[in-house]
Amino acid sequence: MSATDQLRNAIVDGIAKEAVKQTELGLEQGIAADVLLADGLMAAMREVGQLFEDKEIYVPEMLVSAHAMKSSLEILRPHLVEADVQASGRVAIGTVEGDLHDIGKNLVAMMLQGSGFEVEDLGVDVYPERFVQAARDGADVIALSALLTTTMPNMLKVVQALRDAGIRDRVRVVVGGAPITQSHCDEIGADGYAKTASSAVRMVQRVLGLATFADGRAAAAS
Amino acid sequence: MTSRERVEQALAHREPDRVPLDLGGSLITSMHVSSVYKLRQALGLDAPGTPVKVVEPYQMLGEIGADLMDALEVDVAGIGRLTNAYGFRNENWKQWEAFGVPLLVPGDFPTVREPSGELLMYPCADRTAPACARMPRTGFYFDAIVRQDPIDEDHLDPADNTEEFVAISDADVRHLASEVQRLAPSGRAILADFGGMSFGDIAFVPGPTLRHPKGIRDLEQWYMSLVSRPDYVSAVFERQCEIALANLQRIHAAVGDAVTAVLVTGADFGTQEGPLISPRTYRRLFKPFHVRVNEWIHANTGWKTFIHSCGSIWRLLDDIVDAGFDALNPVQTSAEEMDPAALKQRYGDRITFWGGGIDTQHTLPFGSPDEIRAMVAERIAIFGAGGGFVFNPIHNVQAGVPVENLLALYDAVHEFREHAPRGVKE
Repeated sequence: MSATDQLRNAIVDGIAKEAVKQTELGLEQGIAADVLLADGLMAAMREVGQLFEDKEIYVPEMLVSAHAMKSSLEILRPHLVEADVQASGRVAIGTVEGDLHDIGKNLVAMMLQGSGFEVEDLGVDVYPERFVQAARDGADVIALSALLTTTMPNMLKVVQALRDAGIRDRVRVVVGGAPITQSHCDEIGADGYAKTASSAVRMVQRVLGLATFADGRAAAAS
Repeated sequence: MTSRERVEQALAHREPDRVPLDLGGSLITSMHVSSVYKLRQALGLDAPGTPVKVVEPYQMLGEIGADLMDALEVDVAGIGRLTNAYGFRNENWKQWEAFGVPLLVPGDFPTVREPSGELLMYPCADRTAPACARMPRTGFYFDAIVRQDPIDEDHLDPADNTEEFVAISDADVRHLASEVQRLAPSGRAILADFGGMSFGDIAFVPGPTLRHPKGIRDLEQWYMSLVSRPDYVSAVFERQCEIALANLQRIHAAVGDAVTAVLVTGADFGTQEGPLISPRTYRRLFKPFHVRVNEWIHANTGWKTFIHSCGSIWRLLDDIVDAGFDALNPVQTSAEEMDPAALKQRYGDRITFWGGGIDTQHTLPFGSPDEIRAMVAERIAIFGAGGGFVFNPIHNVQAGVPVENLLALYDAVHEFREHAPRGVKE
């Protein structure tokens, strides 16, 4: 089995040490960093996302896989920069004002990183002006998370702040979190809503007009 | 029929004269202090500006006093330990204002905001220790501040993760006994939270009462440990279980069977979309300890056992019910795969639904009074048939619920609770 395949398996199984070892081995063997990223990390996270959606694995398994992927990505990153590999897009993500919950947000951030996006994690209790700043700094997508019914209204404040700043057209806004629904997304004028961390990746790809994994599968099947 | 008899009938899966109602019986069947204030004002129980006590600082729950219980005909009263979730006592009350309402908070409660606007909570109110929780400037309650030392895989010691679980003090046992004596004459059923049995409860994994928590205290690390360090987690639960059972023995000797039900665990096993952990992880790590606690309680006391788990847990319920619990809360029907009729049909003869009365994620805060009334009627009809139902909203009622919705909720409970359709009777 190639180092790339072994890297993919190590990430799916959530074994960080093995993922690091196979990443280093792959680089030593002269496999290009962007190949390890695409066929190792991204392929693994697609598989993990699918297993999660099929309820074959759950949050703990997904977290260990995501952390294994991050360990590998840290090694790859300087090589990707050196090879001038472009990210699929830039996403600024945060839990909205008043809300400190971040496990879901962190999972989405890691899934996006594992899908080739550059992710700026703004943390928790993030005020609208901070999201506006991230958009000004070049984010293609603003991703908002909320766990609480008392903080979900704060998502609207972010959309309004982007409008007030005159840069709403420049970014896509996507939302997620336990109490969030498609109708809430529509009401506040966001561009996309996803129920799960893995579907969030597809949704971000969709709002940016990128081909999604699901599209690829559908094309392959037809 | 007394309130206590009403709850006991429901727990015995017989239809009482009316569906029993819980509000404030526990820290997960209550209401945010700002909503309690609005409700008390609307019911004319207080003069405008009369503060409400914050009896639980973590979720900022308001006191459900005897007058409010009488006004709403509440059937359940709660008892708990001497100290709160942050390890200090609810005493020496002081005035404070937050969320736009006047409050009374314990003397040790922090009321001075940081320059950032947030409030910091300290373990056991010890300001020389690192803060253990914070409330954001525009937040409505506290959340844990993770204090995690670097994890040394080769020297993980289960004692580190169980430092907070200790033999209950004589003072605490006396307090519980006196609380039972105080509440028993009211005729209400007593729901007790003795603490210590909530294995792997993410609200308490960060060790909010500890000055320097050791072991695995980071939330993501804890969840990952369920699959990457299962033997360690099991050893932590083993220690915790032994301490809990010894405590239960002493508590039972002091309070006897005047307690109706005991909150065993509040660890969440569900998310909005599905179980948080696999059925296999539940069976391997949690179920053995749930079985041990339930079996001990049923063999040695007259208490019923109560489990709280948020989220979608349909796929775990075969095992949770099989573990021997008598009551399930909060029955989050707003999550996936949590259809009320399906739950009642599959599990209704074996477990009492203590919750599920109204959707607190959507309908109660954002719906109309008519939608609330319709949902209450539907839930009482479904869950109330044949007993096995204690009415409670799904989890605590949050801040920001319009007062007309709160009134619509309890008006509807009052209207429909005596009209549960005739179900299966003995």
